[in-house]
Formats: sequence, C-alpha cells, structure tokens
Amino acid sequence: MRDSDVLENNPHISRSALEAIHGQVFGWALSRTDYDQATAEDLVQQAYMELLTGKARFDNRSSLKTFVFSVVQNLARSRYRRIASRLRLLQTAANSGIEESAHPVEPEDNSPVWDAVLALPQRQRDIVELVFCREMTIEAASSVMGVSTGTGRVHYDRAKKALKTKLGSFGEWSDD
Amino acid sequence: MTDSDNTLQRAVRDAHARAESAPVPEFEQTWAAARARAGSTRGRRYLLAGSVAAAAVLAIAFGLRAPLDDDWQYIDEYELLETTGWSAPSDSLLPSREFDIYETVPVLIESTETYGGALL
Repeated sequence: MRDSDVLENNPHISRSALEAIHGQVFGWALSRTDYDQATAEDLVQQAYMELLTGKARFDNRSSLKTFVFSVVQNLARSRYRRIASRLRLLQTAANSGIEESAHPVEPEDNSPVWDAVLALPQRQRDIVELVFCREMTIEAASSVMGVSTGTGRVHYDRAKKALKTKLGSFGEWSDD
Repeated sequence: MTDSDNTLQRAVRDAHARAESAPVPEFEQTWAAARARAGSTRGRRYLLAGSVAAAAVLAIAFGLRAPLDDDWQYIDEYELLETTGWSAPSDSLLPSREFDIYETVPVLIESTETYGGALL
C-alpha cells in the first residue's frame, strides 16, 4: 500500500485496493438495485463517499471486499429501498403495457438456472450469489448480510436444496 | 462440497456471468464523483455549523439586552390595594365567583330546629 494512496479518513484503505475490487463492488451494487445501472452507480459513489469521509471506518477485522460489500448492502437497505420499490412499480406498469421502462430492471438472461436463483427468498438468493458468484466464504457472506454464520449456513443449505429440487429435471444435481 | 454442489455452483456462476452483462463504470469517474459529493457534504456541514453559531450569538445578544420599560406584570400592586374586590387566582376566569367581602355576605346555612338537644 503506497502512503500517498491511503485514504485520509480511513488509514487502512488504499485507493488502489478499492480500484482492484471496483468491478465486484459494482456488480454487488447492481444486484442490490434490481440491476438498474444508474442507481447502482449512484450507490457505489455513495459507498465510496462514506469511505472517503470516514463515516464507514475499516479496521481490518475482515477483508476489504467484505467490508465494502457490507457498506453497499447497508446503504442499499437504508437509502434505496424506496427507489427499488418504485422501479418495481415502473416495471409492473411497463409489463402491463402502460409505459415503456427506459432501463431494464432485471438481468437479460432468462436461463432456467438464473430464473431459479431469482425465485429464491431474498436471503437465500443473496448467500448463493455471494458464495457461488462473488467467491466469498459463508462466514464473509453472512457478515455482509448482517446475520450470524450459523444463520448464513442455514440459508445456504436451504438455497442449495431448493435449487437442486427446482433444477432436478436437468438430472445433474442429485445428491451423491 | 459434493460433486453436485460443484456442478450447481458452476451452473449458477455461468448463468450469473451472462445475466450481469452491464458495463462497469470507470473507477476514476466514480471516484471523482464520490470525492465531489464528499466535498459538497462537508461544505453543507460547515454552512449548517455557521448558521447554528450565528443563531446562538443572536440569541445571546437578545437575551442579555436590558428589559423593556413597559413589561407587563400579572399583578398590579396599587390596583390591588385600592380595591376591596378580590378573586382567587384560580377563579379569575370565572366572574360569577367574584364577590366583595364588605358588601356581599355569604349566606351561612343555619337551622333552628333541634335534634336530640343539639342544633342541626
């Protein structure tokens, strides 16, 4: 970590370390905002602002990625819940033919696997995404979600079972 | 992890990679915007602190100023001494309760009938 790189109000974070995980942070923000690009960008900016001002202070108790993901998660919960519900309303209106939405609010892929993931309850979906797609441990994923590791493990096991059941017709997921 | 877990993980990861196809904004651009927002937030905080300080100074200045001459009082001492009328403070809003003790004598309830040798 170069000295000049270190954030003034967050001495354990460097700008280059943030840059290295920027893509993953943006991906997580996208997922938190129903895949709305503009809202996700705003959310990432807000998260970086929290780090710059020291309102969210990193003290090396977890990995930087886990910490920044937690900041994004908390901001999304507190500030963007209303926006997300409005987007869902807009999407509903667009689907019913009243209005054409300017931004897609769901991923374009309609594979049965991803559909099955999207159909999971929120926490199961989150832990599957964090562990399977963002390469986190169950412990780190639970920390991001703000639940205990035990609870995270339960969500993870239930999610796997649900996915295997739903995708059972493909014949690849039967338990050994 | 079992083999079926690994297969499931691979499938979910592939599907997720296809689903999350949105272009990632440049880090420099996002970082610059965050810095600008942090700066404007700090500016707003300074402005708010300045306004609070100014309000406090004004409040102190008005609080220390000499009291006005025509400050009204609840009880005028002279008015009280010049009259025989009086009303209890708690009854002041009830005119019917007012009386002059030199002109209006309260009617006392008396009985001349005895009961067992004693007046009732």
